[in-house]
Amino acid sequence: MKSIKRCQLVITLFLLMFIAGLGILTARIYKDAPFYITHSDNYRLGKVYDRNKDVLFDGSGTVDIPVNHLIDVGNLIGDDKGQMENTLVAQNIDKLSNYSFNEGIDNKNGKAAIYTTLDHKANRAAYDAFMGADGCIVAYNYKTGEILVCTSLPNIDPTSGYEGLEYMKSGTLMSKAMYGTVPGSTQKVSTVITAMEILGQEGLFSKSYSCSGYYMNGSGGKIDCHNSWGHGTQNIQQAVENSCNPFFAQLVEDADMPLESIKEMYTRLGYAISDGENEAEDSYIDIDGIQCFKASTTLTDTSDFATQWGCIGQGETLASPMQLMMWQSAIANESGKMTMPHIIKQVTDVKGNVTEKAQTKYSEQLFSEETAASVKQILLTNGANHYQYSIPGYKVAIKSGTAQVKHGNEENALLVGFVDDTKFPIAFCVVLENKYSTPAVAENIVTTMLNNLAK
Amino acid sequence: MDIAICAAAVALLDICALVILIASYMEKHSGKKVWSKIAADMELTDETRVYPLECDEILIGRHASADIRIQDMSVSRYHAMLNVTDGKWTINDIGSKSGIYVNGELVRHVRLYDNDVITLGNRRLIFRKRRIQK
Amino acid sequence: MTNPVSYLLSCIFVIVTHGSMLMNVYTNGKYDSINDIITLSAGVILLDAVYFIIMPFFKQRTYAVDFMLLLILNMSMIFQSCFGGVHFDAKHFITCIAALVSCRIGYIACRNHRWIQTKKKFVWAGIAVLMVIILLFTGSRSMWIDLGFMSIQPSEFIKPLLVLACATSIAEQMNKKKLGEFNVVYDNLILFGITAIIILFQWWCRDLGSIPTFAAIYASCFFLRICYPKAKFSKKTLIIAGSVVGVLGIIAIILAPAYVKDRIFADIWSDPDANGYQQTKALIAIAEGGWFGKGAGKGFLHKVFAYESDIVFATISEEWGLLYALMTVLMLLIMVAMPLVNPPRSYYHGTMCAGIAAAFTMQMALNIFGSCNMIPFTGVTLPFISAGGSSMVTSGLMVGMIVAAQSPVFANPSHKPKKSGKKRKRRTV
Repeated sequence: MKSIKRCQLVITLFLLMFIAGLGILTARIYKDAPFYITHSDNYRLGKVYDRNKDVLFDGSGTVDIPVNHLIDVGNLIGDDKGQMENTLVAQNIDKLSNYSFNEGIDNKNGKAAIYTTLDHKANRAAYDAFMGADGCIVAYNYKTGEILVCTSLPNIDPTSGYEGLEYMKSGTLMSKAMYGTVPGSTQKVSTVITAMEILGQEGLFSKSYSCSGYYMNGSGGKIDCHNSWGHGTQNIQQAVENSCNPFFAQLVEDADMPLESIKEMYTRLGYAISDGENEAEDSYIDIDGIQCFKASTTLTDTSDFATQWGCIGQGETLASPMQLMMWQSAIANESGKMTMPHIIKQVTDVKGNVTEKAQTKYSEQLFSEETAASVKQILLTNGANHYQYSIPGYKVAIKSGTAQVKHGNEENALLVGFVDDTKFPIAFCVVLENKYSTPAVAENIVTTMLNNLAK
Repeated sequence: MDIAICAAAVALLDICALVILIASYMEKHSGKKVWSKIAADMELTDETRVYPLECDEILIGRHASADIRIQDMSVSRYHAMLNVTDGKWTINDIGSKSGIYVNGELVRHVRLYDNDVITLGNRRLIFRKRRIQK
Repeated sequence: MTNPVSYLLSCIFVIVTHGSMLMNVYTNGKYDSINDIITLSAGVILLDAVYFIIMPFFKQRTYAVDFMLLLILNMSMIFQSCFGGVHFDAKHFITCIAALVSCRIGYIACRNHRWIQTKKKFVWAGIAVLMVIILLFTGSRSMWIDLGFMSIQPSEFIKPLLVLACATSIAEQMNKKKLGEFNVVYDNLILFGITAIIILFQWWCRDLGSIPTFAAIYASCFFLRICYPKAKFSKKTLIIAGSVVGVLGIIAIILAPAYVKDRIFADIWSDPDANGYQQTKALIAIAEGGWFGKGAGKGFLHKVFAYESDIVFATISEEWGLLYALMTVLMLLIMVAMPLVNPPRSYYHGTMCAGIAAAFTMQMALNIFGSCNMIPFTGVTLPFISAGGSSMVTSGLMVGMIVAAQSPVFANPSHKPKKSGKKRKRRTV
């Protein structure tokens, strides 16, 4: 009978609607349960290992980590306490979940882990080589992109907690390799690349300028050289080796170097460029979730004081050590493409299945292969002529830098470069802050690190 | 934690529900019997077909929602209503235009007996004891 | 009436199912001494047995709904007794028995629609009395009457009465009267008025969780009403009306005051200890429980407010597993769906079944989806599973109505001479 059928239809409709809702609910719970569980009191995270299975972070509380064992990686690896946001654990917390809806929580035997590319031993050795001075060092395999060393001082051992947070030095809770610093003369690498792209290899090598200790530029500004006696007339190779400021000021001011071309080239390299009026928005690289600053500078006019200092590496130029190191990879590989760094080698889930595996990735073409090869030669010559004894045993290409910070009251020593060896392809960047106040030497730190990595 | 016991409990719960459902389905047949006892086992026929009387309040009319639909323009859209109480069927006029004739008599509300002839417009229906059809 | 073999078989399976649950408690549960489980088992099995013996005296045509009810009630009894460690929850046991009794009352009251339709005015009076009680005793912003030894939620009792009011007046649909220019059915107006007043009352009491339930009951009855003979509603009108309601709903959400919006679109995870405390804890508990749960009594959710009523689904999920919780809900659905297997035999009973299906599914949806943060959390109870006397008794009444629809009686309401009986019939037709 139709009337009864209608009643049954209404009942069926209500039931179907409810069952559909129940289906959605179940699917949602199944999907979101790993998120819900992160708020649970019983929830523990998995572990983070270095490349030799040394534990860098243990959420499960089953591993006994000695005090200060993690003092060199604390602000890079981080923890789940929420104090440090831009760290490996904080950004990849879901990958450490020792939970699945089917299996439940498994704190004891869960195999959820992140296997990093870090070499904790070398990292610690580099940390110790700073002798307590502030600064940072980062090194990676420029063929594969594996970050091997990344430490920064001052640092914190997260297992000891955050007591006395307010008395800590600024920069303790951040891995300095990921943040901008004044690049000093290491900036000249970018300027050489830019000039070579604009003028061509022969065009650049044909240029020569003289240095008398200072240079009065087109707008009447005085560009000082660190050598007040002057370097005399130099070509590009000599200027790089001398790190001559007036040479680079004149190069930037040269009529063959239009501002637009410089801007375009800098932008390709990753600089955020302000033109004096408009502030440029900073851009970042994502290294397995960790946000890393690229670089920024101000370019207004090629004869402008600030613009010239920007191209020399002072003034308003900032670059992260990570970025400085990545440019070296584009030179070292003679490809003009940067090898993108990564820190996670692989991720395993609660049952130990590999859920994620790192792959080597490259950036777009930043500059031509010819430019890369030529700049590599310049840097290798510089390395052979000046660092043979201070970094013994390695065929290094290198550019040093001295950055004046805090209104010229402090000077930071920088070294960027790479080892030209297909079996030991390491690019690095070291920043030693306030270099006159410490017995530590940037070259020694690099040597110590390379020795430990080579083992 | 013994998963097997949990799974067994879930399975048994389902089986139990299934048993009750099957039992309920099996009662469907006996349910019909009970109903025919309530409804005195009557049915309505015309020349062409038989209309079973399966519930209380059966609407006869031309409208699509009628329980017994008679597609004839002489029949109103909502013509008559059949009711059953204590095994006795009654027919009620629910505002038809042509009225209801039971055994030739115009009625508005009357009790039906076996073999009564109901005339709705031009259509004739016979109210009778249910026959087992072949 | 019914087949004794299938009756016996159903009895055995119900008892075995409860036995398997108790076995689960024994192996996986948390208890201090085995005596607690023995007491609980004795209570559950005894209730089963007694009910199985009493049931045949009612001479119903089918007992399927009763079996489902008993199955669910004793499951609920075991759930409630195991929260936070096994003990015998005597209070819940009593409310379970109360639910069974009210089920019998509902069955006897509703099986004969000729009789109940003559008592229509009492149903309306009942609703009126309950509303006066709400007005006088609960006051605005509250929905409870505290009697000292127990609390009563009077609005719960309106639910079965509204279903009954809808069902009893449906036959009046053909009884149109002129009111000014329009042909109207007085019962329709009365019913609409009753629903509107109830909803206003709930708004006044801030018992917002009940409003959708009443709206659903009225909607189902309204739909059946406009399909009833002589109500001239075409499909087109229906679609237009439906879309108008939809548009109004959307506008209402847009124009809703900020605090309502906050509740609807709240992100409970940004501050898990603030407004969404219960929901976050419930979801965490479900996640921790997984498919098969932690074992009876081993959960943590029993420390959270309203663990035994508003977020009971999560509590069961945690201790017994999501699978078992879903199965429990499925049992409730099967019980409500019984009229699909054995169809009701009159429009009155059909309307009643539809209204009850609407009330039950809406309440289950509000409870389960609310506690899992799919819709705003309103704090309604899950029928038969949540603890709480008012909810138990009213749910029992409503299931009694389904039982009545399954085993109806078609008889004259009085034993007066037939003539007067006919007269009364004319009135009801």
